[in-house]
Amino acid sequence: MGVCITGIGVVSAIGMSVDENLSALRDGRTGIGPLHYLRGTKASLAGEVKASNDELRAALGVGTEYVSRTSLLGLQAAREAWGANKRSGVIRTGLISATSVGGMDRSEVFYKDYLAQSNPDYRLLTTHDSGSTTERIAKELGITGYINTLSTACSSGVNAIMLGARLILQGVLDRVLVGGSDALSGFTIDGFRSLMIYDDQWCRPFDDSRAGLNLGEGAGFLLLEGEKSLELTGNKPICNVSGWANAADAYHQTASSPDGKGATLAIENAIRRAGIGSGQISYVNAHGTGTKNNDHSESVALQNVFGSHIPPFSSTKAFTGHTLAAAGSIEAVFSVLAIQHNLIFPNLNYHTPIAETGLVPATQLETGLEVNAVLSNSFGFGGNNSSLVLTKYE
Amino acid sequence: MNKPALYLSAASSISHQPTFGNPGFSAALRPVEASSALISPDYKAYIEAGLLRRMSKLLRMSVACAKDCIEQAGIGQPDAIVVGTGLGCLQDTEKFLNTSLTVEGLLPPTSFIQSTHNTMAGQISLSLGNHGYNMTHTQNTLSFEYALLDAAMLLREGDRNVLVGAADEHIDILENIAVQLGFEINAPLTSATSFFVLSAEKQGSAKAALADVYTSGGTAYGQEDIDAFLDRNGLRAGDIDLALCAGAPVPGVTRNLDYLSLAGTYPTASAFALHYAVDLLGTSGEIKNVLICNGLRKSNLGLTLLKAIEA
Amino acid sequence: MDSLKEDLKKQIIEQLNLEDLTVADIADDALLFNDQGLGLDSIDALELIVLLEKYHGIQLTNPEEGKEAFKSIDTMAAYIRKRKEA
Repeated sequence: MGVCITGIGVVSAIGMSVDENLSALRDGRTGIGPLHYLRGTKASLAGEVKASNDELRAALGVGTEYVSRTSLLGLQAAREAWGANKRSGVIRTGLISATSVGGMDRSEVFYKDYLAQSNPDYRLLTTHDSGSTTERIAKELGITGYINTLSTACSSGVNAIMLGARLILQGVLDRVLVGGSDALSGFTIDGFRSLMIYDDQWCRPFDDSRAGLNLGEGAGFLLLEGEKSLELTGNKPICNVSGWANAADAYHQTASSPDGKGATLAIENAIRRAGIGSGQISYVNAHGTGTKNNDHSESVALQNVFGSHIPPFSSTKAFTGHTLAAAGSIEAVFSVLAIQHNLIFPNLNYHTPIAETGLVPATQLETGLEVNAVLSNSFGFGGNNSSLVLTKYE
Repeated sequence: MNKPALYLSAASSISHQPTFGNPGFSAALRPVEASSALISPDYKAYIEAGLLRRMSKLLRMSVACAKDCIEQAGIGQPDAIVVGTGLGCLQDTEKFLNTSLTVEGLLPPTSFIQSTHNTMAGQISLSLGNHGYNMTHTQNTLSFEYALLDAAMLLREGDRNVLVGAADEHIDILENIAVQLGFEINAPLTSATSFFVLSAEKQGSAKAALADVYTSGGTAYGQEDIDAFLDRNGLRAGDIDLALCAGAPVPGVTRNLDYLSLAGTYPTASAFALHYAVDLLGTSGEIKNVLICNGLRKSNLGLTLLKAIEA
Repeated sequence: MDSLKEDLKKQIIEQLNLEDLTVADIADDALLFNDQGLGLDSIDALELIVLLEKYHGIQLTNPEEGKEAFKSIDTMAAYIRKRKEA
């Protein structure tokens, strides 16, 4: 039976719920646009969640204003994935969230006042550390015990799912809510601008003219259950988490290797762990950030693994923007939707194949194929590469 | 628990104490003083110049400890690298935050790149040329315990040697924040890194075995949690020769020692306690069972049980 | 002695934390991005773009453009002079 997914939740630039996200993915509707809620940044386009902090707090019933947007977005998605499930004294339950910025959206408000010596509010810093983001979500959901946060830059979200699956298989936990969350901040926008990989135009994953990413924000959560938990909750599995792997590229601090070494290892090991052949992958949800370096390296890795038989693939980052630590879990939710509804999502803004590799992503919504197994990739700074294989529940 | 013990084949720390390259240091430690400074080795002996020039203090410390551990354990490559950090790369984070809020023109990217929490684990993989599993846990005062748990799981999944460690750094603004937020701090705020090689099989010089690790977050804990942990390991409080504690001493244990007074205060100080215990088990024949009780934060409990390896 | 080149060397040492090097260690024609030269990488290239703006008021928005200009101290000095004349 392995590890089953019984609940999903997502919030992103294309919607506040699974249904809203699915409808935008079907319609080819992007959520990237000029920033409306986060002011004073130099980004012309980003994938912003269409709600203010006050609106999120009111909707979620969070009283305190000392809460980071990262926690609020995480809570929104975690609540949806958790659904009507109840706490239990018998089912050992954990929470793993991933974040790269934690409460930076609050810390930068503090630090601005601190530099100007204009009455900085130190309490804003109580949400700075990444662990507190997860603690806040746990508190609101009433989960205690195993509460953990992973932070491996842009691969964090997949790593949370991988760790959750391992904890269930090793018998440490019976069920675990896993996911990732990151809010937009001036800090990360300036960071990617300083790397000169923030595109002022629409990001164009896998296109020859690609010139960088657009950042986004959001959260994705999945409820994972093992056999014992399923017997007690009676929940109906949607999918299986079948394969996973993390590997280090060990090439450069930020750049991916031109031979796609780390990415190739992650993809190969994840498929092997799933116990299926590479020919059985129906769809690849690529990392596909739209940077010159990533999309080239990932294309080479796909060629290394699949040869000339590359499955239909697309990046959904032109819908949501690159949501950093949330990306892996948001895209895992999209992968579950691909299996549930037999869908392959279009890679928006694509026109011309990358000259060196010539790969052509799916550009139209595909509804006529059976989607049984999805590979989802997430690659991050420090050469941190993770891949996940989700399969139809049987 | 019927799980086999895991072996601590190497340990290395850079701290405000003479821990680095100094086996037996535990015998002569005095409480860390507010005026103390980091005791650093010559990093050029451990890190190539091209990588070193860009590294912040915390990165240098982490990579040097990692390399020292690999050498001590006599292994070419660990199968995995797992790091716990409570607050991550504070120096680079503050530097880029400052730049981002004050510089009008183009921003230098280096401090942004090195502000991410997984920079330590990433730089270690880069320095070793390691392509294995690479993970960073950040859960406040339990970050190191979660890294240890992950490492232990990896060994049970078939890995043979895992490099696992903790890293946290002090920046000047922390004292100010601690005062403003009314934190009760009994030992000075410090920086430190501690790394270990955890192995499935006993290597030549290993003197300590990791018997069990337990974490609990988000709820008040009590004596019953500690009793249950000892019970699942077939022990009672009276069997513990030494309890290293942050927070209240463990009742029923004859010898309790406040490890924060030695390590100073930082989120992953329990890793210092682990190195202290490993060092003690390697030099003192009398101590058999050591319990590390991490109650640095009231709603988080971390328990680590170590046993001496019979010669 | 070409003072622009000397200044560039000082600025590069500072911007890139080349703490073991002095101005005398960097030859005018040494290849900056070659392991036999200074062994710089893509992050350094971005730092050099910042340096050009900060000290010389020259904006370079496409990192690709830097590749030719940043070959050596000689090419950097020539690039700065050309941009200033234009």
